[in-house]
Formats: sequence, C-alpha cells, structure tokens
Amino acid sequence: MPNIITCYKWVLDERDIKINPGNLALDTSRAKYKISEYDRNAIEEAALQATKCDAKVTSLTFGTSIAKQSLKDALSRGPEKAYWVNDAIAETADGFVTSNVLAAAIKKIGEYDIILFGEGAADTYGQQVGPRVATILGIPAITFVAEMSIEGNKVTATRKIGDCTEVVTAEFPVVITVLPEINKPRIPGLKQVLGASKKPVVEWKTTDLELGEGDLIPKNQIKSIKGFVMSRKNIIYKEGTLEENIKKLVVSLTKEGLL
Amino acid sequence: MAGIWIYSEITNVAEQLLTIGRELADKLTQPLCAVTIFPEDAQALIASGADKVFILKGDNPWPESYAAGISELAVKESPKVIIIGATLRGKDLAAKVAAQLKTGLVTDASAIREENGAIETDRMMYGGLAVCTEVIGDGGLITVPPRTYEALIKDTSHIGEVVTLEVITEATMVVGNVCPVIRKGADITTADKLVCVGRGVAKQEDMQLATDLAAALGAEIGCTRSIAEDYHWLPNETYIGLSGQKVKPSLYLAMGISGQVQHVAGIRDSKIIVAIDSNENAPIFAAADYGIVGDLYQIVPLLTEAIKK
Repeated sequence: MPNIITCYKWVLDERDIKINPGNLALDTSRAKYKISEYDRNAIEEAALQATKCDAKVTSLTFGTSIAKQSLKDALSRGPEKAYWVNDAIAETADGFVTSNVLAAAIKKIGEYDIILFGEGAADTYGQQVGPRVATILGIPAITFVAEMSIEGNKVTATRKIGDCTEVVTAEFPVVITVLPEINKPRIPGLKQVLGASKKPVVEWKTTDLELGEGDLIPKNQIKSIKGFVMSRKNIIYKEGTLEENIKKLVVSLTKEGLL
Repeated sequence: MAGIWIYSEITNVAEQLLTIGRELADKLTQPLCAVTIFPEDAQALIASGADKVFILKGDNPWPESYAAGISELAVKESPKVIIIGATLRGKDLAAKVAAQLKTGLVTDASAIREENGAIETDRMMYGGLAVCTEVIGDGGLITVPPRTYEALIKDTSHIGEVVTLEVITEATMVVGNVCPVIRKGADITTADKLVCVGRGVAKQEDMQLATDLAAALGAEIGCTRSIAEDYHWLPNETYIGLSGQKVKPSLYLAMGISGQVQHVAGIRDSKIIVAIDSNENAPIFAAADYGIVGDLYQIVPLLTEAIKK
C-alpha cells in the first residue's frame, strides 16, 4: 500500500486583490485565500490514484496561522490526514525556504512513496518547489506530468514538455509535479466537507523539524511588488452602429500597418 | 564569485540569453560563460558572445540528467549568476541545480538588469496582476523565457576558450517513447497574427467564425484555457496564458474573451491587441488597443468581409 503525500499552498485569491492606482501598491485587505488551483490537481490525482492502488493519502502544507483554514478544505478533497507546518516565516518564504521546510517535514512524516505537487503556485508560479524537494531528499522528480500510473513500486508518467511528450518511469520514492490537464478537481460535497472535520490534523512548527538556521533565510531580496499596468491605447468603439464601428476598426488596423 | 553563466538545452535559446549575459558581463566586468551539452555548438556560442564554453560530456541524452554535472561545476567555479532558458526542461533542471547549490531561483524573469553592482530581475506574480522586483543573491539562478531577448549577430572574430568536462549524469529514471506533439496548425508562439477564441463563442460549430476571420487576416487561431481544457475544441498547445503559451504577435484579436488576468499575462507582449466582446466592462478592454463592444456573432462576419475587401 503506497503512501502518497500531496503538497499544497494556501494562497491569496488574486481576483480579490486590488491595485491602488496612485502608488500601484497591492491592497490585499479584502482578499480571501484558496488552495492554489494547480495544487488542487495534485490533491485530486492523489485521491484518484488511491482508489486504484489502495494508497494512503496525506496532505502537507507550509503556511502561516491563516493556513489553518485550509486544512478542512484539503481533507474534503480526499486525503485521510493533514500535516501543517505553521510558521509566520511562510509569509516571506521563497522556493529555497519552502522546499527546505517541506523536505524536512516529509522526512519527519517518514513514510512516503510518491510526493505530488502542482506545476507551480498560483501566487508566485515559481515552478521549483517540487524538483527542489526531490533533490533535497535525493530522489527522482518527474515534472510536468499529464498522465500517470502506479504499478508495484514504480510510477510511469507521461510528461508534456513543450513540443514533445515522453514517458518516464521511476521507482519509489519519487516526486511528481502534475499539469492542470491531468484531471478535473472535484468540488467537495456536503458529506466530504462534514467528513473532513473528523480527519486527523498534525500541526508542527519549523522548530519541530530538523533544519539549519540558514535553511529559513530567503536567498533573494524582494525590492518591490507592484501592480502591473498595461499601457495600451484603449480606443473602444461602442457608440456608433455596428457597421460604423467595424469601419473604424478596419481604418485603425490599416493605419497600424496590420491589414 | 566570478562569471555570468548561460545554459539552455536549446542552443538558439542559449544564444538569446548570451545577449543579456554580454550586457551584464560588460557592466560587471565579469567573464561570460556558456555551458552546453552539445560540443558542435561551442563555436556558435562564442560567436554569440561567450568568452568561455564548458562542454559537459555525459552518457545520457536526457538534458535534465545534467543538473548534478552543472551543480558540481558551479561549486568549483562559483559563478555570480546562472541564467537558464525557461523551457520546461530548463525549469526542471534549474530547480534541481538551485537545490544542490542551496541558492535562490527566479523563474520566468521578464527583465534582468545591473543596478549598483548587483543583478535585479522583474517577474510576474498573482497571475500577472503584479510585478515583483528582486535583487539576486550571489550565485543565484534565473530562468528566462525563450524569445525574451534577441540573439546578437554572430561575430566569428570573437575569441573564446572551450573546456570539455566529463560528467556523471543522473540515471534514476528511464525515459522512453519520446513523441513530438502533433500540431494541427502552425506554432502559435511564433505566429505574426492571432485570432483568439474565448467562452463568448457558444458552440463548437461557431468556431467557423474564427476560422474565417483568421483566414482573412492570415492569422493562426489560439484560445483561452477553458476552450482547450474544459471544452476540448482546440488542442491544449493552443491555449494562451500564464500556464499555457505566451505569445507576442504583431496583431492579437480576442473574440468573446473576458480577459482574466492569467490570460492577459500570456498576451501582454503583443504589439496591438484588439478585443470584441459584448460586455463593456470586461477586463479585456482595459488591456486592448482597439475594441468593439457588441455581439461577436454580428461583428465577426462583417469584419471578415470588410478585411477581405
């Protein structure tokens, strides 16, 4: 019975973030949180694989105290048990820090055959924590997976990498990062949501993990995070008749040298 | 810490990266080194600006298996920065190298520059809503998407050193069945004009409207993520956005696309953006140079006829 650990990040919902037009600062005061969409594919894949090979699925997240809200959501999507590394430093963690913490937590959990990640986090989209964790643990990483199957102690996965696909096989333990196309994450029903509150949760601090001090210091210095402003002409034809507007657009595109 | 390093498993991309590499190397008075797994491309990399080329010789044709070899070399030579082409293979390798070197990694930098003797990068966050500017720590890694920079015109008089090293490649995975993805149309990432379809198109049969408009414009057809992933009207390779393709055509025309931030992240380098949508408040209009508010079912056929004339 393989042990699957599926990792996720509890991120701000970017749809709720407003940009202050004056200084381009981000206003996150009204933003809600969500499980990163890409990681929902990882959780779903863990749940789907578990039904095929009777695997035990555990979820793992590293977040601030706010991530407490994520546990029930994660558990309602299939995992039997949730681990949460709760530390305020998660707020400023980069890929280096996050992968050190997750790898240390995975070592502490101890039993793992397959570790699943989404292809990137919905907020930073750094696309690095999965393969970093594999490297720290000294195990193979199969990234950008569109299809996977488990047989015995082996995973066979189809990677989709730009202009080609390839089939990669590796023995347990192995890290897999999945593409969004691998599945369609379920929307948990009432029964799953209610069931989630009965499932066990383990909370750790980073001090409970075997980490060096340098392991928790981000490598790059963030200078600024500012709203992106698209500078465009914004000439929108809406007042005239259909024919007039089309004519105006054709004239504009001709002037731009595009027709 | 010495040296600006460039690596890509695609030599054209490495040549593009040498352009920004050359700029940084000159400003920081550092040597510019290219790392490659293709001995036959060493001279091309020198002609594109490299002062030195490290050729890694291993017995595995799988580019990702060279992560440990690159890390080992970097430990010995301590480059100031390693810039890697942000193909998916490149991102996989970069993350493994960054973990081995215990260093930072900026993914998909849209700009790299020298600032007060340090290296700074810009990259997107929150699906394209924000730009994050970072100062790179010594020995850090950066990945840069293909076509962010243009390769320099090759200068065959530029002289560089070539060093060949035997490396041990990773062999924990078996790779097989490598198949090219069969594209129905042309590669949309290099298309000069694009018509892009969103959920404003109600039925698959109505895709003909896009086909006709694209034919009149001489354009290729792309789509939003839901058209490819949820509706399968077009192959996954043709969806544009943060997790899909990034395009930079001279004309991008959106048909029935609301303009979610993740989609707009994939089109922001387009020269001219045109939007047709019935919702005047759709965010796509804020991202557009020109637009018509109205029913695409009425507008597109008339526009197609007008363009034909």
